[in-house]
Amino acid sequence: MTPNAASASAPSRRSFLASTAVAAVAVGGGMPLLAACGGSQEGRKDGTTSGKDAQKILPAFVASSVVAPDIPAKNGSSAGFTKAIATADLKTSVPKKLGSGGKLTILSPFWGTPPKGDNPYYTAMNEAIGVEVTWQNQDGVTYDQKLGAVLAGSNIPDVVVVPGWNLMGRIPSAINAKFADLGPYLSGDKVKDYPNLAAVPTEAWQRGIFGGQLRAVPFPAPYVTDIAPMYRRDLFKKKGYSVPKSPDEFLSWAKEATDAKSKVWACDDMKWTAFNIFSVYPGSDKALWWNLRDGKLVNRIETEEYLEALEWTRKLYAANVVHPDAVSGKAGGDARNRFTAGQVLVYNGNISGWWGSVSEQATQKSDFDMAAFDIFGPDGGAPTLWAVQPANIFTFVSKTASEQQIKDFLALCNYCAAPYGTKEFMLTAYGVEGTDYTIKNGLPSKTEQGVNEVNGAYDYTGNPAPYVAYPDFPDVTRGIVEWQQRMGAFTKKTSFFGLTITEPSRWSNLADNFEQLEDDVVRGRKKISDVQQAVSDWKSKGGDGLRDWYQKLLDDTGSAN
Amino acid sequence: MSHSTVPRSRSEAKTPEKTPAAPGGEKQPGRSGKLRFGLRFRRDRTLLLMTVPAVLLVLVFNYIPILGNVVAFQDYDPYLSENGFVAILESPWIGFEQFERIFADAAFWHAVQNTFVFFFLQLVLYFPIPILLALLINSVVRPRVRAIAQAVMYLPHFFSWVLVVTVFMQIFGGAGIIAQTLRQHGYEGFDLMTNPELFKYLVTFETIWKDAGWGIIVFLAALSSVSNDLYEAAAMDGAGRWRRMWHITLPALRPVIALLLVLRVGDALTVGFEQFLLQRQAVGVDASDVLDTYVWWNGIRNQDFSYAAAAGLIKGVVGLALVLTANKVAHLMGEQGVYKK
Repeated sequence: MTPNAASASAPSRRSFLASTAVAAVAVGGGMPLLAACGGSQEGRKDGTTSGKDAQKILPAFVASSVVAPDIPAKNGSSAGFTKAIATADLKTSVPKKLGSGGKLTILSPFWGTPPKGDNPYYTAMNEAIGVEVTWQNQDGVTYDQKLGAVLAGSNIPDVVVVPGWNLMGRIPSAINAKFADLGPYLSGDKVKDYPNLAAVPTEAWQRGIFGGQLRAVPFPAPYVTDIAPMYRRDLFKKKGYSVPKSPDEFLSWAKEATDAKSKVWACDDMKWTAFNIFSVYPGSDKALWWNLRDGKLVNRIETEEYLEALEWTRKLYAANVVHPDAVSGKAGGDARNRFTAGQVLVYNGNISGWWGSVSEQATQKSDFDMAAFDIFGPDGGAPTLWAVQPANIFTFVSKTASEQQIKDFLALCNYCAAPYGTKEFMLTAYGVEGTDYTIKNGLPSKTEQGVNEVNGAYDYTGNPAPYVAYPDFPDVTRGIVEWQQRMGAFTKKTSFFGLTITEPSRWSNLADNFEQLEDDVVRGRKKISDVQQAVSDWKSKGGDGLRDWYQKLLDDTGSAN
Repeated sequence: MSHSTVPRSRSEAKTPEKTPAAPGGEKQPGRSGKLRFGLRFRRDRTLLLMTVPAVLLVLVFNYIPILGNVVAFQDYDPYLSENGFVAILESPWIGFEQFERIFADAAFWHAVQNTFVFFFLQLVLYFPIPILLALLINSVVRPRVRAIAQAVMYLPHFFSWVLVVTVFMQIFGGAGIIAQTLRQHGYEGFDLMTNPELFKYLVTFETIWKDAGWGIIVFLAALSSVSNDLYEAAAMDGAGRWRRMWHITLPALRPVIALLLVLRVGDALTVGFEQFLLQRQAVGVDASDVLDTYVWWNGIRNQDFSYAAAAGLIKGVVGLALVLTANKVAHLMGEQGVYKK
């Protein structure tokens, strides 16, 4: 399941987040358990690791408090930093260069156009960390298609970034087979060699346990949904529209706002927002597809809400209020570009797109303004939202990497995980002063070169606890964090929240084609009854077996909520 | 093709010298085949040496990978071992189970049907166009005009499919030039890019735009080998433009056309890949899935390797049957085809 819309919106650095407040909740819960299923014919580690077994592996947590956030984290939101820190006041979190000067090749998704490999930002980062990184960027929108081919080969890059929504099919088995155990370097107090990594929330590390070993450096994220419906506040104001408050209101507004003759459509593909409106269990991680309802585990695809969400999205397409290029899907290009060009008024994407678009447009159009509107429930009013995983992008090191390379990798992660208010943070997030950003009126402001270069590369190799810090656009920071806090208040957790679960491979391909089916249904090429048929096939081909497997896992671990 | 004229004449010159040196060679019919092979080998060794790199390439990248098809009879999991090849030895054998799954899969039959429909449309609508274009270009006398026309026609071949699809989208899409112009005049609903019914024509059209120009090269080469004397003689005898084309040009092209047709039919199950993958979401899986994308989707994207290998194997076997049939038909029509016994 790929929230394509999310990927398309350039999840830029430091914008996925999570809250330290809920750290350790996931781990606290249950009985010890390892490879709960035991039924796998290959005898490989499927299942999950939690409780006492996880405690043995997880790194110690040592909080870091360089600067107190202006908006403290609440309801699973990020912490918000709105004030800039003067260069002279920046702290140092990495006093000694930890890298050995070795080389690392990193395969990573990239949304947008990657800069040249030898740009000043990369050079400065590599120099500061002491590791020579070579980036192998692949288009983030179609990353799932590349990843399988790369992992099936015998020669994989030293470091591989894997977004959680790409953990489909046998990719989790590939991860267990191909990537190194970081436990010997990080478990318990060992992490204290890397102080910034020690400040990563435990619930994020919990997500990094794959096949019984700590394999990933996670990207900590807030558990509030990361897909926000975003609208052009400037154009709404100009036209006198008010923000819709229910699905019906949205549809009638959309019909009114669409003016195809002037090349303006009300919205882009809204499927992922529809899932939120109708309270469908999250689609970003397979374990979150399940939830205990009236004593029985139910999968998202079996629910009435799932069908309702598809039906509402279908209505939007049928009413021709969706941009025609969005109908074409991936071939149609980037939703965010249509949004900033004013061809669509509402699109859904990762909330970090808010800052991305505003900062990009600030150099071009002065009147561009946007915001995320609150997700409403199926009848208007308050929604019921489901928590996403507290980390859903993972960075792994190849098993074939040498000890030195692993240490270099951790040095890199430690550097990039520097918190707000440090020199390391400024270099990682803003680049080289004078080249990538300048300080104007005490605020850092990215230059055009900075916008192009300081984007997408060192984003996934280590991050501090979830936060939003855009001192150059304090209103955007406030907008994002407050949206998360409002939505967080409506957010509940499904049964397997916080755990990283590897399904037995015999069932791992069961649900592969549902996303495709959804896309066909909303575009009117297939019917809701086709989904129902697919669900009943899914059940008979193993869905029910998978349910029993998850049930056993639940019995052993205890629920997260 | 490999019999170029120069070495052949040289070796022919050598042969008579050698033959007498083999005493009684012609009197021993039993050994003559072998002997002739030996002689032929020595005669052609330079040529054979020259083919070695190509043969090696085919061997390494085409023949050896064929062995990997055994995973079609397994439940192959590349992650059972560090090395994907070793994993073949460790994966369980399950006989024809994957094939049973494939034949029971409606999506597979959709892909087969689409493949044949696209192939047929390409054959009817695409195949003749390079021939017509070659005739057209050939009739242009001024070399400058000719060079420019050729360059313009070749150009789209070098565009990637992403670019081609984007260009088409900008023109024929729901927000493209045509749709917007029609909207200005009160007509709604033009969108060629997302119409599953018309998709087969759309992709054929895209293929024509992209590759028809490139396809003329081989025909132009054949045309350039036709002696001008023939045309002049025919013209002297009073043959008009059409007669000359019918009796001189087309017969000259016939072997090439037959050869390409055989090759095309043998390749029928390969109708394109990226083109369909790119437009998969736009028209849906049922309209756009062809065998190659089906194999890729299941194998690489969904990591169901054995299943995909089985589907690929089916494609290979059917493809082989098609080549043999097409070649046979070519022989019956008196053409050389791809190979001859």
